[in-house]
This record gives sequence, structure tokens and C-alpha cells, in this order.
Amino acid sequence: MADATADRPSAVLSIHRRPWFWAWVASAVAFVATLMLTEGRGGGDLLSAALTFASFSAIVGIGQMFVITLGPGNVDLSIPATMTLAGTLSLKFMDGATGLILPGLAVALGVGLGAGVTNYLLIRVLRIPPIIATLSASFLYQSLAIWSNRGLRIKPPAALSDFTTGATLGVPNLALVGLGIALAAWLLLERSTFGRWISAFGQNERAARLSGVPVEFVRAVTFIGAAALAGLTGYLLASFSGGAALNMGQEYLLISIAVVVIGGCSIAGGYSNVPGIWGGALFMFLIVSMLNSYGLGAGVRLIVTGAIIIAIVAAASGKEST
Amino acid sequence: MKRNIKLFGAAALVTAALPAVAPAQTGDARIALSNNYAGNSWRQAMLESWEKAGTQAVEEGVVAAADAFTTSENQATEQAAQIQNMILQGYDAIVVNAASPTALNGAIAEACDAGITVVSFDGIVTEPCAWRIAVDFKEMGRQQVEYLASRLPDGGNLLEIRGLAGVFVDDEIHAGIQQGVEEYPQFEIVGSVHGDWAQDVAQKAVAGVLPSLPEIDGVVTQGGDGYGAAQAIDAAGRDMPIIVMGNRQDEMQWWAEQRDANGYETLSLSIAPGVSTLALWVAQQILAGNEVPKDLTVPFLVVTQDTLDEALAATPEGSVANVEYSLEDAQAVIEDAKAAE
Repeated sequence: MADATADRPSAVLSIHRRPWFWAWVASAVAFVATLMLTEGRGGGDLLSAALTFASFSAIVGIGQMFVITLGPGNVDLSIPATMTLAGTLSLKFMDGATGLILPGLAVALGVGLGAGVTNYLLIRVLRIPPIIATLSASFLYQSLAIWSNRGLRIKPPAALSDFTTGATLGVPNLALVGLGIALAAWLLLERSTFGRWISAFGQNERAARLSGVPVEFVRAVTFIGAAALAGLTGYLLASFSGGAALNMGQEYLLISIAVVVIGGCSIAGGYSNVPGIWGGALFMFLIVSMLNSYGLGAGVRLIVTGAIIIAIVAAASGKEST
Repeated sequence: MKRNIKLFGAAALVTAALPAVAPAQTGDARIALSNNYAGNSWRQAMLESWEKAGTQAVEEGVVAAADAFTTSENQATEQAAQIQNMILQGYDAIVVNAASPTALNGAIAEACDAGITVVSFDGIVTEPCAWRIAVDFKEMGRQQVEYLASRLPDGGNLLEIRGLAGVFVDDEIHAGIQQGVEEYPQFEIVGSVHGDWAQDVAQKAVAGVLPSLPEIDGVVTQGGDGYGAAQAIDAAGRDMPIIVMGNRQDEMQWWAEQRDANGYETLSLSIAPGVSTLALWVAQQILAGNEVPKDLTVPFLVVTQDTLDEALAATPEGSVANVEYSLEDAQAVIEDAKAAE
């Protein structure tokens, strides 16, 4: 291996050692394998669908990534309920009125911030472990969503619906939003002091505290930020799919954690990367599309998906590259 | 005199106009609803229907109580505990929409041993002492293909949207669709995805599989997924196939818009959430001492091109087409089941 690559430029030499590399490879393979069925037709459609749907997973995944970076036991299980509550309340608030699109966004973000603050207070004031705190809080948020609207679907304003399903210069608008958030998250994680604090917190909380990292501030901002991103995703997803539904966030609990793991972030915290989140999000969509296109049954699909995820995680953790 | 009263009672039982008189003997009975899940619009409508019919039944003195209880986690263990609590609280009948067909059997048997009438519906239980108001999901799948055959005599390519993998209902509807395709071999299922009965999941799954599919002539669904499929097909710029709908308001709304724009025609069928009220009346009938067969079948609620406007007007925005069953409806279902035995 080392001999074969010795004469290549060093950037190429090291790219396969990046933790996010394998998620992107797997996405590309799934993409090509799907197109082999159609002899190359529909590539643009598939790519555009993948970018659109992956952006939802990527946005909640980025929030979850920051939480998981905080170290063992830190995970936000309230993401689906926060999405549902934010989507429900913001669409009910807008009630189809174009003039209320931005205030509606503020409602969704406000719900996210409120959920984040609640989560953090449960963890800090009541000293409940984050898994239990966010799980029990999620029942509260889900109940509020049920209570506020009893599952009725209210249509989003037409302009908002057009924006979320539309594209600019051929790139889906949602993907632009998702990529913008990813860029901001990358700058925050890799180029800011706050990013160093989060990583330091996850690598060793005690050492971080003793070296002057404001650990409680870091934890608060991380949980609140993750919930705000979940609120934003709920707003976008509800607008995209023609209304909020009580079960709309359900599959994003597993996906938000899966993209973090597939993306090569350490599940034990302390070491994360943003490109992997997008790689994982694209993979989660493309693998299902590929297996559906090949007409495999649900059981086989789940087995293959599980096996591939294990392979990616094993490859990304570097056990194979010596 | 005594004979006259008996005659009067018998007459009242079958007289549609006098539902409040007949079940006088159940006026002290307390009925509980044990529900495993409330997290979608169908279940919300189901609970509302129960509340409406239950409140009315209590006001009219038909029963003493009709309380609804929902578990938070959709877990069989949790629901079993809930049923045990109901036994302790001394309900006369428990109406249950079960999280599992088998896992509650222990708790159900305890209830029967305590002399409590147990009626399961929608999510039915296999415990023999309980009554079952079941949905013929297989027939629901078969009828979709039958309808498509009436619209497309030459057949064509079908896309199948399935529900949640591994769930009994999904297997049944799928089996019915396969049976339909065997009966009408001019149809071929060219693609199959799992939409989990949710519009956004169906939209995502269909968008992912469309690029690799040939032209689609019909879409068979399981309910709650038709609108998402339509959006994905529309976004891909394809010709709109005949999508069989599942009575959701957004599906019917979309159908009406398409009909007005280009004469789009389809069929919509599902189970009315008001089936909970059917179960309530069946429980009441059993408590009243009437002979009721253990296996009953829920009628489908079908929306056609002709009844679309009516159904749409009666359905709250974002909900699902519904009917509340009356005591007479329950008696008709019971008579049908007796006739079939």
C-alpha cells in the first residue's frame, strides 16, 4: 500500500485516511450502482433528490454531531419531537399567509431554542443524564404538538412551499441551505475557539475545565444549538412535504445519529468532522434508493444497510489502514 | 304485561329511532378504551370519535362511563400494565386497539377471568376469549388492483408503496395486492418502496426510486402515502399515474385540485377512524346480553369520484375521512357476521 502510493502527491496520499472519506466513497458507489440499472439515465434526477433529502438529515446531523462531540452519554433524543413541535406550531402560526414566512421561521427557531434551554436545564439543574433528560423532554414536546393541533395538516404558504421544493441554478434550494449551515458549522468546529472548547470537552471534561474552558457554557450552547437546528429542519421539512404531521420527525432520530457515526466522528466524543455528516446523509438516502431500485425485499435491505454501515465505520476508524 | 315489556324491549333493540331505550340494562356499565398509540392523524381522529360517541352514550344513560386511555410508548408491556390497571379499576368492558396481536394475551386472559368483556379492533388480539373487529386488509389491497383493472383494461406498470416493514398490516395489504396482480396479470409491479404510512417518508422513498423506473401507470398504496407519492412524481416531471388514495384530507384535496385542472380520476379507500365507535357499540351489545359472534369485519370507507366533494367537505383540514358508527350500524355488522357463520 505505501509503495504504491509513495510517488503520489501527499494530499492524495492522505485523503483516504480522513475519517469522512469512506462515507463519500460509499455514497458514490451507491450512486453509480443505481445508475448502472438505468444505463446512466436519470442521474441528474437522482442527484437532485439525494441533495434535497440529505439536507434534512445533514442539518439535524450537524446538531447531533456537536452534542455527541461532548463525550460519552451526550446525545439529543428529543430531535424528532422538537422537529414535530416546531413544524406544527410554525405552520399553524403562518396558516398559509405569505407575509408570515419570516415570523414563522422565528417561531420554529424559537421552539427549537425553548426546547434546547429546557433540555439543558433538565441536565444542569436537575442533574439528569442527557439521554434520559432529552428522552423525557421529547414526550413533553410531542404531547404539546398533539395538544396544539391534534395532528391536523396545515398547508405552508405557497411561496415557502415553492422555495423548499425549488432549485437555484440547478441546485435544490434546500441543499444550498444545508451546505451553508455545514460551512458555518465547519468554521465553528475547525477555525474557532469555541470549536476547540467542544473538542476539548469531549476528549476530557476535567482537563478542559481545569484549563479554563467554560464547560457549562459550552454544553448549554451545544444543546440549544442542536435543538434550534432541529426546529429549523422541522420548519423546512413541513414546508417541503406540504404540512406538518405528528410522525414527521420519527425517522430522524436514528438518521441523526447514523450520519454522525458513518461520517467518521467518534461516538465517544472529542473528534468530529463536518464533511462526513454530508457524506453520511447522502449515503443514507442513496443506499435506500439503490436497494429499492434493485427490488430487494425489506429484510435484505436492512441487512445490507447494516452490513455496509459496519464496513464504513470499521474502515473509517482506521483499523484497516496500516 | 311482562310479555309486553319483553316485546317492547325486543322491538326497541331493532328500532333505529330509539337507541337510548334498548340498552337500559347497560346503564351502569363502565367501558374503557385501551389505545396503544396516538401519534398520527388517524389515531387522533379515532380518539375524537370515541370521545364524541362515548360522551353521548353517557349523557343518554346507555353506559355509565366510556373512558379513553393511551399509552405513551406504543409498547406491549406498557399496554399490558394498563389493562391490568383497568381490571383493578373494575371496568365492565375493555375495548382495545392492541400494540401486538399476541403479547397482550396474558393481560387479556386475566381480564376475561375477572368477568370483563374484551373487544379488540384494528390492532386485534389472538386470545380466544376476546372479540375481534378485524379489517380485511388483504381485500383492501386486492380491490385497488381491481379498480386499476377497470380503469386500465390493458394493464401496465405499477409502483407499490408499502407500509412499515415487519408489521402485520403491511404484509396483509401487500399479499392482497399480489393476489390482485395474479388475478389481473396484465399488471406488473415494477417498483416497491416502504413509505411507512407517512407522506414525507413516501415522498422521499419514491423520489429515490423513480429515476430507475420505467413509465408508471398506477400506484397502489396503503394509506397516508398517496400525496407524498404524487409530490415526488410531480417533482420528477413525470406523467401522473393513477394513484389509489387512502382517504387523507391532503390526498383528497390534491385529487380534487387535479380533477378540476385536468379531469383526474381515482379511488380512495381506507378504514374510518370511527371504527372505535363501532367497537364501543359492539361492547355495549355484548354487555346487554346479545349474542355476538367473536369475529366481526369492519366495512371499508370508500371515496369515489362522485362522493369526493362530499367527503372532502366533511373532513377537517389535515385529518382523514371519517364516519361515526351508530348502534344500528353495529347491529348490522353483527347480523352480517351471524349470517356468514
